[in-house]
Amino acid sequence: MTEALVSLRGISKQFGTVSANLDIDFDIHRGRVHALLGENGAGKSTLMSILAGRYRADSGTITINGTSVSFSSPASALGHGIGMVYQRFMLIESMTVAENLLLSAHRRIDRKNVALTIQETAQQYGLDIDPHKYIFELSMGERQRVEIIKLLLLDAQVLIFDEPTAVLTPPEVAAFFSVIDTLRNAGKGIVFITHKLEEVLKLADDISVMRKGRLIVSTRADRESLSRRRLAQLMVGRDVVLQVVKEPVEPGDTVLLLENLSGNGSLGSVSFDDISFEVRRGEIFSIIGVAGNGQSALVEAITGLGPAHSGQLSFCGRTYTPRQWLNSSKDTIAYVPEDRYHTGSVGTMSIGENSGLTRLSAYQNGIGGMFLDRKQMLNDCAAAIKTFNIKAESPDDTADSLSGGNLQKVILARELSRNPRLFIAEQPTQGLDISATEDIWKALLECRKEAAVLLVTGDLKEVLSLSDRIGVIFNGRILEIIDAHDADAVGRVGLLMAGVSS
Amino acid sequence: MIRIEKRAVLPRYHHLIAALIAFAAALGLGSAIFIVLGVNPFSAYQAMFNGVFGSFHSFSEVLVKTTPLIFTGLAVAVAASMMLWNIGAEGQLVWGGIFAAGTALYLLPSAPASVLIPMIIMASACGGMMWALIPGLLKARFNVNEILTTLLLNYVAIIYMEHLFYGPWRDPAGFGFPGTAQIPEAAHLIRFLGTRMHLGFPLALACALLLFIVMKKSSWGYRVQVIGSEARAARYAGFSVSRHTLLVMALSGALAGMAGMAEVCGIHYRLQTGLAVGYGYDGIIVAWLAQLNPLAVPFTALLLGALFVGGEQLQTVFGLPSTISLILEAALLFGLFGGQALIRYRIVFPGRKKEIPTASSHSGTTS
Repeated sequence: MTEALVSLRGISKQFGTVSANLDIDFDIHRGRVHALLGENGAGKSTLMSILAGRYRADSGTITINGTSVSFSSPASALGHGIGMVYQRFMLIESMTVAENLLLSAHRRIDRKNVALTIQETAQQYGLDIDPHKYIFELSMGERQRVEIIKLLLLDAQVLIFDEPTAVLTPPEVAAFFSVIDTLRNAGKGIVFITHKLEEVLKLADDISVMRKGRLIVSTRADRESLSRRRLAQLMVGRDVVLQVVKEPVEPGDTVLLLENLSGNGSLGSVSFDDISFEVRRGEIFSIIGVAGNGQSALVEAITGLGPAHSGQLSFCGRTYTPRQWLNSSKDTIAYVPEDRYHTGSVGTMSIGENSGLTRLSAYQNGIGGMFLDRKQMLNDCAAAIKTFNIKAESPDDTADSLSGGNLQKVILARELSRNPRLFIAEQPTQGLDISATEDIWKALLECRKEAAVLLVTGDLKEVLSLSDRIGVIFNGRILEIIDAHDADAVGRVGLLMAGVSS
Repeated sequence: MIRIEKRAVLPRYHHLIAALIAFAAALGLGSAIFIVLGVNPFSAYQAMFNGVFGSFHSFSEVLVKTTPLIFTGLAVAVAASMMLWNIGAEGQLVWGGIFAAGTALYLLPSAPASVLIPMIIMASACGGMMWALIPGLLKARFNVNEILTTLLLNYVAIIYMEHLFYGPWRDPAGFGFPGTAQIPEAAHLIRFLGTRMHLGFPLALACALLLFIVMKKSSWGYRVQVIGSEARAARYAGFSVSRHTLLVMALSGALAGMAGMAEVCGIHYRLQTGLAVGYGYDGIIVAWLAQLNPLAVPFTALLLGALFVGGEQLQTVFGLPSTISLILEAALLFGLFGGQALIRYRIVFPGRKKEIPTASSHSGTTS
C-alpha cells in the first residue's frame, strides 16, 4: 500500500476519568475510503474531532505526508487540508448557499464569481446545487452537498463524514454514495463514521472498528471474511441479534382515528394535509418519511401540542374537533419526542427529576397537589434503572451526563409508566447504537400488547422490523398505507418516501 | 508540560470555592485601588473590618442594610430561576414603598398596629407585584424583552414617587422639604435592642426560607425549574410558560415591594429621596453570588451589606470616596463568574499521572 496521507499514532484522549481514545493508530490513504465503525460512545467522534482540530489529543502524533503537525482549531486543520462534515450541518439557514460558502471560503474565492466558482466545483464532483437558494429551502441531502462543496473549496484533501446517511432518504443515500466514489477517484482521502454495517461493506476500502475507546480491528476491506455478523460482533463485543422477535398480537379496538385532518403546525414547519388513518390496540402503525415532510406538525396535532385546522379526530371512541381536542385531557397518551435532549428531558436536572416530567400528578400531594414528592420520583427512577438496564450511577445523575441510548431509556420508562392507551414514538432510535436500539424495539413491541403504538420515523429498517401497517408521508400527505406483510408493496416504501408514487 | 484540562466532575463544594475565589479577587483588586489612592491596604481593610464588627451597634447597621438586600436578592433570584431578568426590583421597591406609605398615611391612618402592619406588608407586596406584572404581561403576551421593560420602568417609578412627595403627598408641615409626612407610629416596624434593626430583618429571613421550600418542595417550583432550564421540555410536559411567567414576576415584584416597605416603615418613616438608592440593582449581585439559592441569599446580602458599611468607614477614617465599595462589589461579581469558569478546569502536572482504569479494562464483558 502507498504511504499514508495522514497518520495518527498513539492518540489518547481522556475526559475526566473516561478514556475516550486509548493509544489509537489510524491511517488515511489517498483515494481510499476508511470506514470507522463503533457503537455510540466508542470514541469514533472524539478521534475524528481530534483529527479535525476540534479537540486536542492528550498524547500521540498526527503526521501529514510524513510531516508532524498539530492543530489548534478546526481552521488550522482545514489549513492542512483536513475537513469534517458534522452530523449537524454547520450552515446558516437564513442565508443562501453562496453566502454560506463565502463565509468560510472568502479568502479563496472571488466575491463576484462565487456562483460560478461554486458551480464549477459542484460539476467537477457531481454535486448538483443551486448557489442562489436559501439553506432552509434545501433538503438534508442538498445541505450535505453544500457542506462537501465547502470543504472542496477550501481544498480539503481529507474529508471526514460523521454519520452521513442518518438524515438522508434512500435515493439520496444512493446519490451520496456516488459522490463518495467521485471523491475517491479524485484522490481524496475519506473517513466515514457510521454504525450501519451495509454501508461499510458497500463503500469501504479500509475498515476500523472501535469499542470502548480502543481500536479493536483495523483491516483492509475483504468482503469475504468480514460478514455483517462478524462486524456487528466486533462492534459490540458479543453476538447481536439484528432481528427482533415479533410475536403476533391480535389487533383490538381502534384507539386513535384521524379523519381528513389538516393543519399548519407551528411557525416554519411543513404543514400536513388531509391525513386519515387509524391505530388499533395491539398494532404498531408506522408513519415513515424523510424529516421535514409534515410529520412534526402532525405529531404535534395528535399530542395536542399544536393545532390542526380541519378534519376530526377520535380517541377511544370519542370524536373531537381539532379545537375540542386541544383542550381535552391526554393523560393516557404517552409520547417519546424526537429531541430527547431538549424536549424529552431537562439536561441540567437529575434523571430522577426527569422521570416525573410528564406525570407530575402521580407525585403531587397536599392541598391541590401543592407539594411534590421528589423522593418518590428518585425511587421510581432507581427501579427503572434496574428494569431497563440503564447505565447510570444513580437517579441523581444529571440527564446530560447520560449517553443518548440510556437517556432514551429513561424517557421510555417514564412514558411507559403512564399506562398509556396510545403510545407515540418519534424517531425513537435515531443515533442510538445497536444494543440500545434493540432494547427500545423490544419495549415498543411489548407495549403494543397493551396499547396502540404510533411510530413516526425515517428509518426504513426500523419500520420493517416493527410495523404491522405502514403509512408513507411525503410533502404533508400520506401517499399510501401498506400492510407490512405484503412483501411486494413493502418494496415500494423507499421510492414512496422520495415522493415517487406509481 | 503542565496542562489544563476540563474536570469531569465538579468538586464537592464548588459553589463555596467559587465564592471564595470571588472574595479573594475582590480583596486583591481592592488592595490595588487602595495602593493607587495612597492608603495601606491592610489598614484600609482593618478599618472596614472595624466598621463592621467593631461594635454591636456597627454590626446592627450591617443588618439594617442587609434587610432590603435580602428582599431584592430573593426577587431577582426567583425570576432568574425561570431565566427572567428582573432588573426592575428598584422600581418595584419604590412602588412597595409608595403603597406602604399610602396605606399608613391615607388609607388606614388611625388603625392599630396589629391591623396596620399586616395591611402595610400586603399593600407593599401588591405595589411591587403590580409594577412587576407590567413587564410580566408584556413578556407573557407579546414576548417583549423583560430586561428592557423592567429596567425602564424603574425610572418611571422613581419619577412618580418624586411627583408624590414633591406634590400631592408633600408634608404640609415639612417646611418645604421634599417628603411626605411621617407615617403614624402604629405603622413603624418594631426595632430590636435599641438599634435600627427592625422587624423587616426576620421577615426577610422568613421569606428566604419560604421561597426555598416553594422552589424545592412544591410542584410549582418544579415547573418553574423545568421552564427555566428547558422551555421546550416544559411545553412538551404541558406547563404553561406564559402563566408561570406572570406568577413568577408577581412573586418577584412582591418580594421587591416588601423591601420598599421595610425601608419606609423600618428606617425612614416617610417617603423621601433616599428610598431608591440602588438596593434593587444590588439585588442582582446578591442573587447571583448566592447562585440563585434562596437560602444563600441572606448570607450574600450580609456580605454586601458589610461591604457598604465598611465602605462608609473608609470615608470617615481616610476620607476616601465611599463608592469604593461599589468597585469591590463589582470585583466580587466578576470574581464569582471567573471562579465558576475556573473551577471547571484543573491543572495537571506531568509525571504525576496515575494509571486511570478505562471502561474497557475488562474487555468483552457484557453489561
